[in-house]
Amino acid sequence: MPVKEKEPLIMHPRPSSIVAALYTLRDLDTDVVILHGPPGCCFKHARLLEEDGMRVVTTSLDESGFVFGGHDSLVEVLEKVIRRFNPKRIGIVGTCASMIIGEELHEAVMDVQPDVPVIEVEVHAGYRDNTKGVIIALESALAAGIISEAEFERQKALLKEATMVEKRHGAASKEYLAPSRGDLKFKVAGRLLELMKQGKKGLNILNAKKETAFMFADINLDVAEVAGKTGPGSQIINMANLDENVGLPKNRRNASEIKEELIRKGMDIHHITGGLDEYPIAGDTASRIIGEKYQDFDFAVITGVPHALPMDHLKNMELFSITNGPRQVVPLKEMGHQHVMVEIDLHPKTLGVNHIVESEFGATLREMSKGA
Amino acid sequence: MPKQIAIYGKGGIGKSSTASNVAAACADEGHRVTIIGCDPKSDSSITLLRGRRIPTIMDLMRQGMDIREEDIVFSGYKGVRCVEIGGPEPGIGCAGRGIIVAIGLLKKISKAIEDTDLVIYDVPGDIVCGGFVAPVKKGLVNEAYVLTSGEYMPLYAANNICKGLSRLEMTLNGVICNSRGAPNEENIVSGFAKEIGSRLIAFIPKDVLVQTCEREGFSVIEKAPDSGIAEVYRKLAQSIMENKEGKIPTPLDDSKLRELTRI
Repeated sequence: MPVKEKEPLIMHPRPSSIVAALYTLRDLDTDVVILHGPPGCCFKHARLLEEDGMRVVTTSLDESGFVFGGHDSLVEVLEKVIRRFNPKRIGIVGTCASMIIGEELHEAVMDVQPDVPVIEVEVHAGYRDNTKGVIIALESALAAGIISEAEFERQKALLKEATMVEKRHGAASKEYLAPSRGDLKFKVAGRLLELMKQGKKGLNILNAKKETAFMFADINLDVAEVAGKTGPGSQIINMANLDENVGLPKNRRNASEIKEELIRKGMDIHHITGGLDEYPIAGDTASRIIGEKYQDFDFAVITGVPHALPMDHLKNMELFSITNGPRQVVPLKEMGHQHVMVEIDLHPKTLGVNHIVESEFGATLREMSKGA
Repeated sequence: MPKQIAIYGKGGIGKSSTASNVAAACADEGHRVTIIGCDPKSDSSITLLRGRRIPTIMDLMRQGMDIREEDIVFSGYKGVRCVEIGGPEPGIGCAGRGIIVAIGLLKKISKAIEDTDLVIYDVPGDIVCGGFVAPVKKGLVNEAYVLTSGEYMPLYAANNICKGLSRLEMTLNGVICNSRGAPNEENIVSGFAKEIGSRLIAFIPKDVLVQTCEREGFSVIEKAPDSGIAEVYRKLAQSIMENKEGKIPTPLDDSKLRELTRI
C-alpha cells in the first residue's frame, strides 16, 4: 500500500476551503448563502461578498447548537431566507463545527422543500489545499444541474494546476513564509521609467485571478500609457488573461468589462492568454508566446499571479512583479524577480465593482512620469 | 439495491455475535454479504476471519496511507466482505467524526456496499453523537433491528434507540431477543416489541457454545453448524432476508417500560 508522500507542515495561515466555497457560489450567481455554523465563522469574507451582491447569512450555532445539533436552526434560517430574499438560487455551506458534529445539510433541504435549486456544500476548513472547497462546491453545482460535466472537468483541471502553482512557488511552498510589503513603489517606478526612457523593449503581462484583475489591470494600463509617452522608441507588448468566452458566469462578465475598458482607454492587447480563471495555465501560454517571439526583450512587468509564469524565457529580463500576497514576496525574489511589490488589501477593493480600480503602483508610475 | 441493515442495542448485549452469525448463515445460503464494523473496538468481523484482526480504515488514515479498496475490504467466511472502521484510542479525538469520514471514503472507493445482497452495519451500543448515525443519515441503511434481552437496562437502551430511530424517521424491522436467561424473558421482549409497534423476530437462547466458538475465532455457523444455536441463527438470517415490513417505532415512556419489565 503506497504511503502518501508526507507533505511538510505549513505554519503560516492560508486561505480557507470554506471561503473558497463561498467565492465559488458567488461565481455561480448564487443569491443567498447560509453558513451553517458559529456566527463569526468567515465573517470578513461573508461581509465582503455582500459587496458583490450575494447575501451571506449564518445559522449562528452556539454551544448549545454544538451539543444538541443545529438542524432546527438551519430549517428556520432556510425558511426565513426564502421569505425575506425570495432567492432564485440558494447555497448552504458547512463549517468546521457543523461538519464535526455530523450535521446533514440535506435533511434541512428535504424538510423545507424549497422550489429553487439549493447547492449544498459539505465543507470544513481542515483541507490542506483550499481548492478542495471549490471542488466540493462545483460537485454540488453539478449534482444540482447548474454546471455541465465539461465545465466541471475543466474547473477541476484548473484547480489542480492552481494548487501546483502554490506548491511550487506560492504560499504552500515553504514551512513558514514571513509577510513582506515588498520593494518601495517609487524606487521601482523610477527604475521602470529609466528603462522606458532608454527605449528598452518590455513585456506588460496581466495574469490575474478573477476579480483581482480589476486593480491589476490598472497597473498594466499605466505601464502601457506611460511607455507610450516616455520613450517613443520603446516597444511594449501587452498580454492579458481576459478571454470572456470561458469560465463561470461572473468571470466571463468581468473579463469582458476589463477588456472593453482597456481598449476604450487606448491600450492594445496583443495577446489574450486565457480566461480569468485560467491564471494557473495562462502563464504557460504567455511563456510559450514569449519563447516564440519576444525572447530578446529587456524587461517584463507581470501583475496578478506572477509566480505562475515559468522562468524559462524570462531569465534574462529585468522583472517587475506586482502581487497582492504579502507572503508572495520571498518566493518571487527567490525565483529571480528583481523587483517585487505588493498591492496591500487589493482584493476587498475589487469586490462589487465593474470598472478598473486605481492601484498604488499605477498611480505612482503615472505621477512620476509627469516630472520625467 | 442491496438490503442494508443496522443492528442496534445496548453495549455488550451481543450485537457483533448476532451480526457475524447472521452474515455467515446468509453466506451459506449463497447471498453476497458485506459487514461493516462501526465500533472503535473493531471486533465485528473477527469471528468471520478466524480470529484475525484486519487493519481499520482509521488506522490506515492515521498513517497517511493512500487507501485503496483492497486495503480495507477483506474476504472472510465464504466470501463475506469484512470492513472495520476503527477509531481513536478511548478518550481522545472524535470517534463520531471518524465514522463520518470512513463512510464517505468507503462510498467513494469501494463497491462492497453497493454490489452485494446484504450489508450489515454493526453499530456501537450507545449512539452518543451525530457521527454514530452517519450510515443512516447518508441513506446507507434501509432497515434497522434492535437487539435486547428481557432485563430492564437493555430494554431501556432499546427504547432509547427507538427514540433516535423515530426522530430520524427510520423504520424498525424487528426486535431480536438475545436471552440472558432472565425470567419470563421471551414474553417481556415480545410485549415490548408489540408496544413499540414492532414484532419479535427471533429468540436466541443463551448458549455457551457461542462464546466457545468466538474464543477460537469462529462463528457457530462455521464451527458448530449442526448445533441448535446455529439453527436459530439460520432462521433469524432467513427472516431478515425475507423481511419487508418496517415501521417507525413509537417509544414508550419510562413508567410504561418499568411496568412492562415487572416479572
